[in-house]
Amino acid sequence: MKDQKYRVGADIGGTFTDLIVVDTETGEFTIGKTLTTHQDPSIAVETVLKDVLDAAGIGADEVQHVIHGTTLVTNAMIERKGAKTALMATQGYRDSVEIGRETRYDLYDLMLEQPKPLVPRYLRFDVPQRTLADGSTHTELDTAYVEKLTAELAEKGIEAVAVAFLHSFTNPTAEREARAIIEKVAPELRVSISSDVVPEIREFERASTTIANVYVQELVEKYLRQLERRLEANGFEGSFYLMLSSGGIATVDTTVKYPVRLLESGPAAGALAANAYGIATGHTNLISFDMGGTTAKICVIDKGEPLIAHDFEVDRIYRFAKGSGLPIKLPVIELIEIGTGGGSIARVDSLGLLKAGPDSAGSDPGPVCYDRGGEDPTITDANLILGYLDPAYFLGGKMSLNMDKTRQAIKDKVADPLGLSIEEAAWGIHQIANENMANAARVHALERGKDPRKYPVFAFGGAGPVHAYRIAASLGSPMLLAPLGAGVMSTVGFLTAPLAFDFVRSWVTELDEIDWEKVNGLFSEMEAEGESLLIESDVAAADITHRREIDMRYVGQGHEIRVSVPLGKLDGSNRDGLIAKFEETYKELYERKGPPVAIEILNWRVVSAGPKPDVSLTVRETDDGAKMAADCVKGSRPAYFPETNGFVDTPIYDRYKMKPGMTFDGPAIVEERESTVIIGPDAKCSIDEHHNLIVEMPESQG
Amino acid sequence: MTKLTPIQLEVLWNRLLSVANEQQTTLIRTAFSTIVRESLDLACGVFDTRGHMIGQSMTGTPGHINPMATGAIHLLKAYPPETLSPGDVLVTNDPWLTAGQVNDFTVMSPVFRGEKIVGYFANCCHAPDIGGRILSAEAREVFEEGLQVPIMKLFDKGEPNKVLFDMIRANVRTPDETVGDLYAQTASNAVGARSLLQMMDEFGLETIDPLADEIIARSEKALRDAISKIPNGRYEHEVWSDGFEEPLLLKVAVIVRDDEIDIDFDGSSKQSERGINVVLNYTKGYASFAVKAAISPEVPHNEGAFRPVNITAPEGSILNCKRPAAVASRHLVGHFLPGVILGALSQVIPDRVLAGGADPGWMSIWRATWPETEKGANFTLFQLGGTGARPTKDGLNTTGFPSGVGGVPAEIVETQAPLVQLQRALRPDSGGAGKFRGGLGQNTDFAHLGSERWSISGMIDRTLFEADGLMGGLPGALGEFKLNDETAPPKTVMWMEPDATISLNPPGGGGYGSPMERDPEMVLNDVVDGYVTVEAAAEKYGVVVKYTGAADALVRMPSDYELDAAGTDRLRS
Repeated sequence: MKDQKYRVGADIGGTFTDLIVVDTETGEFTIGKTLTTHQDPSIAVETVLKDVLDAAGIGADEVQHVIHGTTLVTNAMIERKGAKTALMATQGYRDSVEIGRETRYDLYDLMLEQPKPLVPRYLRFDVPQRTLADGSTHTELDTAYVEKLTAELAEKGIEAVAVAFLHSFTNPTAEREARAIIEKVAPELRVSISSDVVPEIREFERASTTIANVYVQELVEKYLRQLERRLEANGFEGSFYLMLSSGGIATVDTTVKYPVRLLESGPAAGALAANAYGIATGHTNLISFDMGGTTAKICVIDKGEPLIAHDFEVDRIYRFAKGSGLPIKLPVIELIEIGTGGGSIARVDSLGLLKAGPDSAGSDPGPVCYDRGGEDPTITDANLILGYLDPAYFLGGKMSLNMDKTRQAIKDKVADPLGLSIEEAAWGIHQIANENMANAARVHALERGKDPRKYPVFAFGGAGPVHAYRIAASLGSPMLLAPLGAGVMSTVGFLTAPLAFDFVRSWVTELDEIDWEKVNGLFSEMEAEGESLLIESDVAAADITHRREIDMRYVGQGHEIRVSVPLGKLDGSNRDGLIAKFEETYKELYERKGPPVAIEILNWRVVSAGPKPDVSLTVRETDDGAKMAADCVKGSRPAYFPETNGFVDTPIYDRYKMKPGMTFDGPAIVEERESTVIIGPDAKCSIDEHHNLIVEMPESQG
Repeated sequence: MTKLTPIQLEVLWNRLLSVANEQQTTLIRTAFSTIVRESLDLACGVFDTRGHMIGQSMTGTPGHINPMATGAIHLLKAYPPETLSPGDVLVTNDPWLTAGQVNDFTVMSPVFRGEKIVGYFANCCHAPDIGGRILSAEAREVFEEGLQVPIMKLFDKGEPNKVLFDMIRANVRTPDETVGDLYAQTASNAVGARSLLQMMDEFGLETIDPLADEIIARSEKALRDAISKIPNGRYEHEVWSDGFEEPLLLKVAVIVRDDEIDIDFDGSSKQSERGINVVLNYTKGYASFAVKAAISPEVPHNEGAFRPVNITAPEGSILNCKRPAAVASRHLVGHFLPGVILGALSQVIPDRVLAGGADPGWMSIWRATWPETEKGANFTLFQLGGTGARPTKDGLNTTGFPSGVGGVPAEIVETQAPLVQLQRALRPDSGGAGKFRGGLGQNTDFAHLGSERWSISGMIDRTLFEADGLMGGLPGALGEFKLNDETAPPKTVMWMEPDATISLNPPGGGGYGSPMERDPEMVLNDVVDGYVTVEAAAEKYGVVVKYTGAADALVRMPSDYELDAAGTDRLRS
């Protein structure tokens, strides 16, 4: 067997499949890109892998790990392309996934719609069975009913069944019994039970997540097995892992059991990549900012870890509004997604205020400047007017932009109604888009008790670097970081994730009535489970670490605060430390002390992880004669900066010529093929040893 | 500050809204009662130094938002700026000054920037218990309905008002929750203040008043512009509510005069002797909500949006009751007001209104004893029926309107109280038939654990008068409240035997347009999904659907149903 010193990250996105190969000894890397093959996405992975390996002269048998992420699950849910799925619910509860929370997510819009469950009502069934809140059985499972129902479902071509019974997170017996019957009567049916997928309270969210899991299972399994075969056929002998929404990686076998955990794995990798770059450059707190054509995604990275959320929504149908999507309860790297992208449309509302987004011109017809029939001015159009984009060199010159039409559209739709010049209007659009994104980042950071002014902004995605400077200014960030090759950023993230599994047990107990023996039992049980899964995945026992957390709140509250717990055996002497930690976090988040009420613990969590891979990338230096930043200037064009009261001739730097140690000052435009970094006046810029562009924000902003 | 450009204005305005949303997030995350944290029966807002509400959080209920906005002025009158210090927090639950019942506490905090007050944050939410009678409509005077807290300090320079907290604790059935929510309300304002100060620092603002003036002026102008587009005229409508003991007439005249609207409830029933009376402040809250939702959903809801709308109701009427009327169940009447106003407006803007809906959110207050610990449980549950159909869309199933409150998961219900919720299911055929169908109500049944007696106060309505259809649409189904399958008395505390079963079945929404015009395919789909039965498809819609599958089949696929085109033609001709 050859020395396996290469690691591969592969990301399937909506348009492109990206891949990176890194030499773990030297840090040298090669990247590749090809169009995503929607019919069978594994083809594109195979193609680009072969291309990259061939070009670099690396044999497939020299690859140690292939780590992969995909939007397959998200797309299947949005496009409703999963299996024909049925729901078995407790008698009287088949509608819980449709009744939902009964709230309106917008108070004033009389025409709003509620999200549609993945399973239509005619495939949702009431199963005679009832467990009570304390886990006791009120009504035994009607096994004959489950048998008959299963046989009929199989006969009528149903492919998958979700089982979600009330209080199964306290007592899973009935769900397990139902699963056993289904597997016996119709082994071809796929089954997920809610106590397995997400053993947590709240029937609507738990059922919705369980349905999603089984809805995509076949699709995911087919695809992953297919890809596994393709990799093997090409001589790959190493391990194949999947990136999960939580930022951990898992084997194919585990992923296939819980495929819903693949949701958002691509964007999660983007955040991990930002994290890895941050750690490499000594910035363990970051706000990662990724902006594309229709949305922007923001993630807060704190002390070298992206923030994790435990619920989110897929397929939001109403301007990304919370409540308008299908709820999924899972650990997920917390990405705030807002409807501001290059294609977002600018308009004047009935108050005479300027709005940007969330309606989008998309890519068809797209912004006015694309000249494909778009008539509404967009953020990209504003950026063109402001000189931030080169009309002759868009996408490396593959597309030319129509300036005249763009000016006319902004004049008619924005400038004239507001009594502004075209340039002022364009600046307004640009600024409002930035504020929308900065606000989302700020609210999110504050909700999580973080002060955004301490966080550098890390920008990537096609449109991210154009806006990042102003977002950093608006947040009061000290610094902006823009990596080289922002377009394939997320693939790097795959390589930075450790193998990890997370576990949760629900057990509600007041802190003062706690049974420490039971606590120690729960934690060691979960840690043992984590250890055995990791060992199965070839991690050495000595390399395994565990992290413990608990969810705490005042008795009577409905929302918890997560507090970390020391490892090892716990006893009464840990009580005061936990209270102190809880109260400190509470005060930090909510400004005030809580009321004089008892404290309780709800969930007990363990994350078991293998070692964190060390990824440091080395860019191969080429000698193109450029010694200082001035040598990298390829031209100039007028660009708009409010600090200079309008347009100023701004140098354009060729990103590919820039080398570590070079320094220059703003205003500046730094261009690479897929993105452009815009830097305001008075900023100090430098290139670091990893070829990142570092922009120090000037003191006076805002 | 020089005059703000539209762009600066948008930037600051957006920021202010995001501050109000942080305020709300904090309230929900720190609240104790399920009423606040699961059902979102709350409002949060930011005010300028003169006590004008500028902005509010995303969700909440009109019954809290608007009364809080118009009530703030009373708190500031009682405590002018010179009497306030950093760390002070004001509170009241005066029904006439704020949200119309003693359960609703309004908590308001000044924001100090150095020595100076630069604004206020307030929020209003429903306490799980406030003593007195269990929340019902039975009281004859407000004094029976619980502890009244006149405007006073809840915190004085950051220190809790011990006397008040002790008084509250001693008077309520849920001391930890009621007090815990007051702490949550305080934290919510504090987080809002933190972010407002950050915003002012960042933009170098000494005051937010000019921003408030501009937003309020623009909101007013935008609403006036929107009103101007509606033809002048007098549009009348009326609906009946179940009332207590006898039905109530709610009558409105909506008078459009150029850029103003008068909403006059003259002709509505007299003040009731029982606790279903509405204070004028609450009437205004729901009336102005309806105007905004129908005419200008985009315009921010603030002081400016109140100005062009004149809302009146005769003093001593059910919609402008006098002290010391009993008011605990005012929402059961107040929630009807948007519907009656939209009904009037349907005569002139039929394409922008809803058919009648379930209207009042159903709220039930339960008392029971945990079998093992013998601890008492006091639990409040919200449930929602269907909304009215829209001009181009079906109504929404089990969704709150006009209030934005939500339901409670059964697993939460059953961990908070010794109840067993036996079902929570959509009610077939409860949506009023129409070209667009009304939203469905729900069927819910409850039993209880243990051998003690237990009680329910069913604060519900629309068990006598169904939600109207519009433009030829048919009414939605009536709500049902049953004890052991027999109709039970609403709005009163009812004690039950340990083994009793209670059914609460909130009503459906009305249809829009003639059901004979509904696309037969849509009717077929409704039958497949069980929203409409085969019988109702024929009877109400004139659409003949045949089930062709096995009689005992549990799984009934779309292919097991057939649309009988000839039969449909016969019924529809």
